[in-house]
Amino acid sequence: MFSKKKSSTEIAAPLSVNQRRWRKFKTLKRGYYSFIILVVAYALSFLLPILVNNKALVVNYKGETYFPAFADLFGIPSFHSGEQFGVVGETSECNYRKLNEKLSNDASGSYVIMPLYPYGPSEDINVAGNLKFMPPMTAMSGIEGRLLGTDDRGRDVFVRMAYGFNVSLSFALLLALMEYIIGVPIGALSGYFGGKFDLILQRFVEMWSTLPVLFLIIIVVSLTAPNFFLLLGLLVFVSWIGIALYMRAEFLRERSKDYVAAAISIGVPTHKVILKHILPNSLVPIITYFPFAIVAGIISLVSLDFLGFGLPPGTPSWGEMFRLGIEYISQNKWWLVMSPMLAMFLTLSVAVFIGEAVREAFDPKTFSRLR
Amino acid sequence: MSKLLLDVTDLEVHFPVFGGVFQRKVAEVKAVDGITFSMNRSETLGLVGESGCGKTTVGRAIVNVLRHVSSDVHIDGSIEYVDENGKETDLISLSQSDMRPHRQKIQMIFQDPYSSLNQRLTVKQIVSEPLEIHQLGMSKSEVSDKVFWLLEKVGLQPEYASRYPHEFSGGQRQRIGIARALATNPDLIVCDEPVSALDVSVQAQVINLMMDLKAEFGMSYLFIAHDLSVVYHISDKIAVMYLGNIVEIGTADQVYFAPTHPYTKALISAVPEPDPDKTRVHRTVLKGDIPTPLNKPSGCAFRTRCPIARKECADQVPFLETKKNGSLAACPYVD
Repeated sequence: MFSKKKSSTEIAAPLSVNQRRWRKFKTLKRGYYSFIILVVAYALSFLLPILVNNKALVVNYKGETYFPAFADLFGIPSFHSGEQFGVVGETSECNYRKLNEKLSNDASGSYVIMPLYPYGPSEDINVAGNLKFMPPMTAMSGIEGRLLGTDDRGRDVFVRMAYGFNVSLSFALLLALMEYIIGVPIGALSGYFGGKFDLILQRFVEMWSTLPVLFLIIIVVSLTAPNFFLLLGLLVFVSWIGIALYMRAEFLRERSKDYVAAAISIGVPTHKVILKHILPNSLVPIITYFPFAIVAGIISLVSLDFLGFGLPPGTPSWGEMFRLGIEYISQNKWWLVMSPMLAMFLTLSVAVFIGEAVREAFDPKTFSRLR
Repeated sequence: MSKLLLDVTDLEVHFPVFGGVFQRKVAEVKAVDGITFSMNRSETLGLVGESGCGKTTVGRAIVNVLRHVSSDVHIDGSIEYVDENGKETDLISLSQSDMRPHRQKIQMIFQDPYSSLNQRLTVKQIVSEPLEIHQLGMSKSEVSDKVFWLLEKVGLQPEYASRYPHEFSGGQRQRIGIARALATNPDLIVCDEPVSALDVSVQAQVINLMMDLKAEFGMSYLFIAHDLSVVYHISDKIAVMYLGNIVEIGTADQVYFAPTHPYTKALISAVPEPDPDKTRVHRTVLKGDIPTPLNKPSGCAFRTRCPIARKECADQVPFLETKKNGSLAACPYVD
């Protein structure tokens, strides 16, 4: 810590509070590497359609070139039937793996380039030529072994888990962001203005928080078809309260400090007092709470999916995979339940490590056990 | 010659206390209970008293920040501010937006140099904020020149402008606070115990800095403190407060060398004597604690600890009257 190289002749550049926190965060190796892993994994998960997909990256057929996997990546609807590429009788979406085998055997000059892991998240067992319940890394009846085996409909477990990671984390991030967008301003105003405004708002929040969330979701989901944004909206509907209470407490405390009185006595307008003076000083619990909000978001989505009130059927989701795993647990299909469990365990651990390190980085005390 | 700057009349500040199931008002803390004083331009008024006697509240009432800390506070009386052109304004009734033009001329220095500067802003941002708020028609480069000039005036190197408050010592922070207060050329600076959080050696530096600045710019200080020798050093006039009332007010010499009110006498006699060879003639030691402002004694608030209290003191509220030495004191039994 006290290296001799940094002598007193070196003039320390002024560091803002946040720069110092970032430096400290970098010294907390466990949290810092977890942060890098999670950010890289999440960024990569957006490239899944070109890394892990049953559609070909490039198809060159009779001089024409097609990019079906890139169409998936950018969300452009594309459909190429098997007949288009000379597979007689295949009117549904082309099976590119078979096409690849076929084209590499003939000498027409046409070719197919498949993604790194050429299996899709929702393949149809009748078309794709998959087997049900393949154990991990085991080839069966002439079909290549899969990383984590296949499920009851012959879908690749690893692929579904990878896609589910993107869905879960996106959901949790959006949920946390929307909680903050609603909760922070309400809590801030309640804490800053105090008095009757605060009193009425807090009673309202108390009534709001007694809404039975699970029943609400079950009722709404059984009335309409659930989708990603409906679930998000339903969860935000109640979960902004926690962050609003946090923010209110911070504002109540900060408001009575002298720098706020100083700002007012200078004549700083109220909105600037709130945004420029109090808010930057109240962000500590908000930021340290964020990784844990993500953990909570992932857990809520997984539980709803597990109960069957979550994302629409067919969406690759960890909760649904759990349910499947539990269903077949007595038939020794251990990989069905172990895979999503391990994925969730790793993701949540990494998020918690980040949370701990962030909290530690914001702590003014120097020494810690997290180093 | 000396023109009136500030005329405070019957200022009352009561903070409500809530209790019970329905959080109804059950009592009032009478922090300031009807005080009257006036200040002239370029004059320093020292305000002294024990902890909790309401000195700070008086200062905060003048800069009109009380309502933002406690929205239920009851403020009464009047604070007439006279600007350079002789125009009078009652600061008490002003809303936040009506008050803004006057804030330029009335600034405040706070007691705690650690909490009175926003940790997230650089020194430059802190000192330039009043200049930007009041839009004195300065360009960006003029503002930063002014900030450097102000920092130099308060004895800080202009290179410090890009640093953050946590990199400074208490005395340096207080200098930043002074630079901020000076930025808009105020007529009046309310100094709320500006040196009591500092080391004695640093106290002297800051006090001398404040006196130099006053000699140069000619503003007035309302100097709130509990250290009598510091107040005597810097003030032209001294007011002594006890439990929300002024018990004695006069020139610094009158109050410091010829106190009349028994409370002032006790305070003065408690000032430490730096020369160990001098023995103190007599010391008045007050017994008991200061009563709570929640439940003030009837009549004269000081009677519970007064060495010359009589039965009548419980019935009549004493008012300030001129005494032999020329000061005003609120006790009918001394001369």
